[in-house]
Amino acid sequence: MLIKRKSGDAARTKHQAVAAGLAAGVLDRRAFLRKSGLTAGALAAAGTIQLGSVRKAQAAGSSAVGPDTVIKKNVCTHCSVGCTVTAEVVNGVWVGQEPSYASPINRGTHCAKGAAIRELVSSDRRLKYPMKLEGGQWKRISWDQAYEEIGDKLVQIREKNGADSVYWLGSAKFTNEASYLMRKFAALWGTNSIDHQARICHSTTVAGVANTWGYGAQTNSYNDIRNAKTMIILGGNPAEAHPVSLQHVLSGKEINRANMIVIDPRFTRTAAHATEYVRIRSGTDIPVVWGILWHIFQNGWEDKEFIAQRVYAMDDVRKEVAKWTPDEVERVSGVPGEQLKRVAEKFAKEKPATLIWCMGATQHTVGTANVRALCILCLATGNVGKPGTGANIFRGHTNVQGATDLGLDVTSLPLYYGLVEGGWRHWARVWEVEYEWLQSRFDEVPAKGGRKARTRKENMESPGITSTRWFDAVNLPAEQIDQRSPIKAFMVFGHGGNTVTRMPEAIDGMNKLELLVVADPHPTTFAALDARQDNTYLLPICTSLEMDGSRTASNRSIQWGEQIVKPAFESKSDYEVLYRLAQKLGFADKLCKNIKVTNGAPEAEDILREINRGGWSTGYCGQSPERLKAHMRNQHKFDLVTLRAPKDDPEVGGDYYGLPWPCWGKPGLRHPGSAILYNTSLHVKDGGGGFRARFGTERNGQTLLAENSFSKGSDLTDGYPEFTYGVFKKLGWDKDLTPDELATILKIGGEKPDTVSWATDLSGGIQRVCLDHGVSPFGNGKARANAWNLPDPVPVHREPVYSPRPELVAKYPTRPDERQLRMPNIGFSVQKSVVDRGVAKDFPIILTSGRLVEYEGGGEETRSNPWLAELQQDMFVEINTGDAAARGIKDGQWVWVSGPENGAKTKVKALVTDRVGKGVAFMPFHFSGWYQGKDMRDYYPQGTDPVVLGESVNTVTTYGFDPVTGMQETKCTLCQIAAA
Amino acid sequence: MARMKFLCDADRCIECNACVTACKNEHEVPWGINRRRVVTLNDGKPGERSVSMACMHCTDAPCAAVCPVNCFYTTADAVVLHSKDICIGCGYCFYACPFGAPQYPRVGNFGSRGKMDKCTYCSGGPEADFSTAEYEKYGSNRLAEGKLPLCAEMCSTKALLAGDGEMIAEIYKLRVIKRGYGSGAWGWKTAYRETVAI
Amino acid sequence: MRRATTFLSTLLLAVMLLAVPGAFGPAQAQNPIQADGQNPMGARPTADSVNEEFLFKQESKIRGRVSIPDGKAANLIQPQGREYQNFRERWLPWIGALTILGMLAALGAFFLFRGRIMMEHSQESGKKILRFNAFERFTHWMTAVCFIILSLSGLNYIFGKRLLMPLIGPEAFGAIAQWAKYSHVYLAWPFMLGVAFMFVLWIKDNIPNKVDWAWIKAGGGFIGKGHPHAARFNAGQKGVFWMVAGFGAAMAATGLMMLFPFALTDINGMQVMQVIHSVIGIVFIAGILAHIYIGTLGMEGAYDAMGSGKVDLAWARAHHDLWVEKEQARTASGPQLKGHPAPAE
Repeated sequence: MLIKRKSGDAARTKHQAVAAGLAAGVLDRRAFLRKSGLTAGALAAAGTIQLGSVRKAQAAGSSAVGPDTVIKKNVCTHCSVGCTVTAEVVNGVWVGQEPSYASPINRGTHCAKGAAIRELVSSDRRLKYPMKLEGGQWKRISWDQAYEEIGDKLVQIREKNGADSVYWLGSAKFTNEASYLMRKFAALWGTNSIDHQARICHSTTVAGVANTWGYGAQTNSYNDIRNAKTMIILGGNPAEAHPVSLQHVLSGKEINRANMIVIDPRFTRTAAHATEYVRIRSGTDIPVVWGILWHIFQNGWEDKEFIAQRVYAMDDVRKEVAKWTPDEVERVSGVPGEQLKRVAEKFAKEKPATLIWCMGATQHTVGTANVRALCILCLATGNVGKPGTGANIFRGHTNVQGATDLGLDVTSLPLYYGLVEGGWRHWARVWEVEYEWLQSRFDEVPAKGGRKARTRKENMESPGITSTRWFDAVNLPAEQIDQRSPIKAFMVFGHGGNTVTRMPEAIDGMNKLELLVVADPHPTTFAALDARQDNTYLLPICTSLEMDGSRTASNRSIQWGEQIVKPAFESKSDYEVLYRLAQKLGFADKLCKNIKVTNGAPEAEDILREINRGGWSTGYCGQSPERLKAHMRNQHKFDLVTLRAPKDDPEVGGDYYGLPWPCWGKPGLRHPGSAILYNTSLHVKDGGGGFRARFGTERNGQTLLAENSFSKGSDLTDGYPEFTYGVFKKLGWDKDLTPDELATILKIGGEKPDTVSWATDLSGGIQRVCLDHGVSPFGNGKARANAWNLPDPVPVHREPVYSPRPELVAKYPTRPDERQLRMPNIGFSVQKSVVDRGVAKDFPIILTSGRLVEYEGGGEETRSNPWLAELQQDMFVEINTGDAAARGIKDGQWVWVSGPENGAKTKVKALVTDRVGKGVAFMPFHFSGWYQGKDMRDYYPQGTDPVVLGESVNTVTTYGFDPVTGMQETKCTLCQIAAA
Repeated sequence: MARMKFLCDADRCIECNACVTACKNEHEVPWGINRRRVVTLNDGKPGERSVSMACMHCTDAPCAAVCPVNCFYTTADAVVLHSKDICIGCGYCFYACPFGAPQYPRVGNFGSRGKMDKCTYCSGGPEADFSTAEYEKYGSNRLAEGKLPLCAEMCSTKALLAGDGEMIAEIYKLRVIKRGYGSGAWGWKTAYRETVAI
Repeated sequence: MRRATTFLSTLLLAVMLLAVPGAFGPAQAQNPIQADGQNPMGARPTADSVNEEFLFKQESKIRGRVSIPDGKAANLIQPQGREYQNFRERWLPWIGALTILGMLAALGAFFLFRGRIMMEHSQESGKKILRFNAFERFTHWMTAVCFIILSLSGLNYIFGKRLLMPLIGPEAFGAIAQWAKYSHVYLAWPFMLGVAFMFVLWIKDNIPNKVDWAWIKAGGGFIGKGHPHAARFNAGQKGVFWMVAGFGAAMAATGLMMLFPFALTDINGMQVMQVIHSVIGIVFIAGILAHIYIGTLGMEGAYDAMGSGKVDLAWARAHHDLWVEKEQARTASGPQLKGHPAPAE
């Protein structure tokens, strides 16, 4: 009988023979593996899939930690929760992953992607060296050749068509430092057409939330959800999109016996764990939220004191809400009044209550309005600015919050400094670049299409084209595009090609580009579409696991990730590629004037220090690399719920984990960061504060400053505006400034020193003095229930462009055609045509899209990872049992899903389930590599094709854009399904 | 000695498959071999629950009983392991296993199976601890390092519990009492002829 | 013997009944809540959550959905594995041992009681008549050799670990068992081919008729004096033929299911296949033991039929009189048999 050695050595000798035989080389490795039965099976079963690489084989062996093992910590790249990844590295090879118990965010855990992340680095499906397309064939080239050719073409295109004809797309997977560097790069190039994935996930959140109370970010944290007694998850499926967050959500649900209400068209895996599930018609979020508020106002459940003290113009909302009687809500959304009353009562009365939302709320033509309605729901019930409350917005990628903060956005400069002269001059000072030189880099725009011409300065202050419209800006007639020329060149860094709607038109756009450069660890969908023959480059970029740098999680905590291993193959970091490109284009010295460059790559720490020097507006000033690294060393000291370290700790005492922004003042001030925004029960020095006084002090005779509400220990016991040197002088606080600080302020202010504010004072003096007086540098204002600068100041329901209920369109039409962000938005005309043509009859099924736990984003990276790919091998459509039966469709069979535009169709497998309601279909958005039934595997450069390919849902998605941010409509279009 | 068990708290499990990929990662398990999997019951309907399942390391393990070559053995920690040197890949253990744990690489003719592979509770096999031979055949040996199986350690919601049976049962009981509901210790009756009474 | 067979078939049926319901059974879950995109369900998912006990009441095993293509992974818990274990470990060794040893004992007793059935001499003694041609003999022996190896390697699945392993140790046994498995898997094919050939070759002579009934009533001549009439095959031989054909087909069918596991059936089906294969295999072995006995030790002159192919005419006349007459009539009217009956020595 065999007995494991731990219970006795009796049987051990029997196996020593085998071991000895191995040691003596009796069996060669191959024979041995065959004997073990594992490897041979793998090869046979996997067919073309090659497992392992040379490096892996060299490092294979025991998992035990030996003396050569080095532990490195980085951050998982797959969502915004910010899970620490603990890597075991032996001889420069990443051999194992260990649970990161010290991290207060993930506490050792991961989801499928995090637990498989090691594969990304050693994946043999990565892009290994730079390549270019020559006559439709992929050719290997050197990095030098790539920089030369790409640089020359860029210059050539710029000379002919202007700076705006080159479109720059950054990535939410960038580190903060890379995001900043690229934004700066685009500024030095002379364009505002610089965007990233936030455009297509939470741009509407950022716009909606910032326009309500100041900052466009999650107000609380994942951990803080543990305090909630009621949570509503609307349009989000964190069980699949943010699995580790569910640890906190479900713990909160259990500890507090909290209500967990899921509002979604689809009975998601999150809904399966809810205490109440509300099924709504896709695209009717505003009616549902107003329906909830109707009950709240009707029963007087609102937080009247909170509204009086901290909210502007709630009465305007009451007027709109009054229209949404239970009957009307049920007619439009399908939700019965009784259920919404139950939800309303819980949210308003069983407090603290938090509202969690994701792309189900944001990816709509009414995305910004949806977000605004949700914020207003929080405000009406007083569920903001306290533990257990707040707008807990779960963002998508590792660093989508950071990349947004650092300005990979067509509407802002780093850290939300506006595209106004003040903003430009601020960064010009930080960069030590002449403002006039920057201006000279921008195009002059001639008058066309009935629009006036723009000067360089005006163009510099004009938001760029959004990533959702890049191909429209290639395809449409030049006169419709409000810049010097249509887009001619597309520089894509770390961004899939299949995540933007209307793929058939994107392919047309690709066809017309003069230059396409994809800089990514994988070739991405752009490489696998039958569109281009030449002038296409693939640059292998390492994953951010192979880079130093900081990342901002959704809760605004900034974590420092250290390079786990050196970039694999010939891949390079974003830092190096941007720097080398800048060298070729002639502005590298300006890009890195105050940033140390080592071996041709700017140093992450130094980039962060420059961010600190300029990041006052968002409180990115206190998070020095040293402090962030200390946090990673001391992760175990932070509290699970408050995220705070004990005050007496020498390194991180009193800090919140990751110094969640705003972290005021210079690093030396040791502000702890702000775990919960707008929390008046804490001193500003402990991360407290009121709503940001961002919108002035008064409007229509009503004050915009808080009334009888202020943060703990404040010298000013009422609302107050944001601080400037001028305000300081009135308060007499200018005397508290040191001579150096004062000198800096006066130097910046020049002739108008009074205008120097907390956000532009490079000395940090204004912020320092504010903290000493217990006031928030950004003021103490009211949140806005009426955001008068938005297209719909108070959100109103508007039917989707492709509405399944044409009879409702007359009453609830989408916004009229208008021009936004340099482009026309003809949503109204499209909607009218859809109704007139009776499209909903031919395409009777609502198509919505979303995420799977195994994959992320466009999915090239995760679909190349066999550990993940094995778990989802086919693109599918979820179809309701009734709809399937009516069409004779069986579970698992091939079907055609066709869309109402471009005659587009996709061939996918049917997943027949009641998870989706009758008349609703769901498709995940991570697949690509098939196009309208054609397998495009051969189009990938050899050996870089992902393991799993499939149709992209965006082949059949349709027109529709949010008026504020250009967000695309992915959650509500129409389709027809037929057996293939 | 401890009596090692797995317990999946289905009220926490969200089918994130971290356990599955953690296992692949830790042991470099090849494509097609699923030492652990997550099964969703009542899929898409209210009451849906997911359960992560692998070898449960049964008391009186059926696989060991039916094995025609007696390649199974139970360690002092009550982990059920097997020797791939002795296994003939007959497949009987799969027929006997109540949990579908045994996996077979497809080798040989007529679809016949190679040496059986299954969850080792991250504790290797009969070869010397941490030896290359052990790693290549069975994967790493965390238990010998004083660590628990990685699937449970990395479980996103801490649904999958691994450790001494009495301790994890206690953790589960406390949870159920705290929250007021629990769908039970899935498979315990079949695997250990006991259940966690609340 | 008969009783043993009855017992076995009853047991087999019982086991199948135990195992099979899992394969069917109502799969519909509870909660017939109306799901509709426009008319939402007011569901309380936590309150409605399923549990093990509830699901076991609906079906004998718990099944769900998995995203991997391996359909059998969707079975979460199948307690039938325990029943299968019970059969295989508690019943099968006894069934096997009792059946085979019982048959050997019965044959031994018969041998002691009746002794070797000797040839009865007559004037035709010494003359030979061709009973099986070369191809028939080849087929027989190919099948027979395969059968013996399949039997031994098959029995090894049940008894190897109990009898052989303690003697030679796990490593050596493991190696032998591996080869035994290979031989079982590969020799199954020539065996199946052999059974098929035999079926085609001999079916026409094995159709039961009235003569067989008389033969059986006369006790096949084993008891008492005199030989009942018999054509080419007597009722006993026909029994062997139909046993080989029937059991051969059953073994082939169940064996193929195991060679291609889960191709046609689910886990419970596989368990049933296993049970059928092992029980029939054992009965088959016992039956063939009797066949071997009567063809060799039990009866003088019988072996020649498959040995040289030619049998003593006297023996043939005694045992297969109708066949001899027919054969001789055929040879008289047609060409002579190749092997002309040799004169007596």
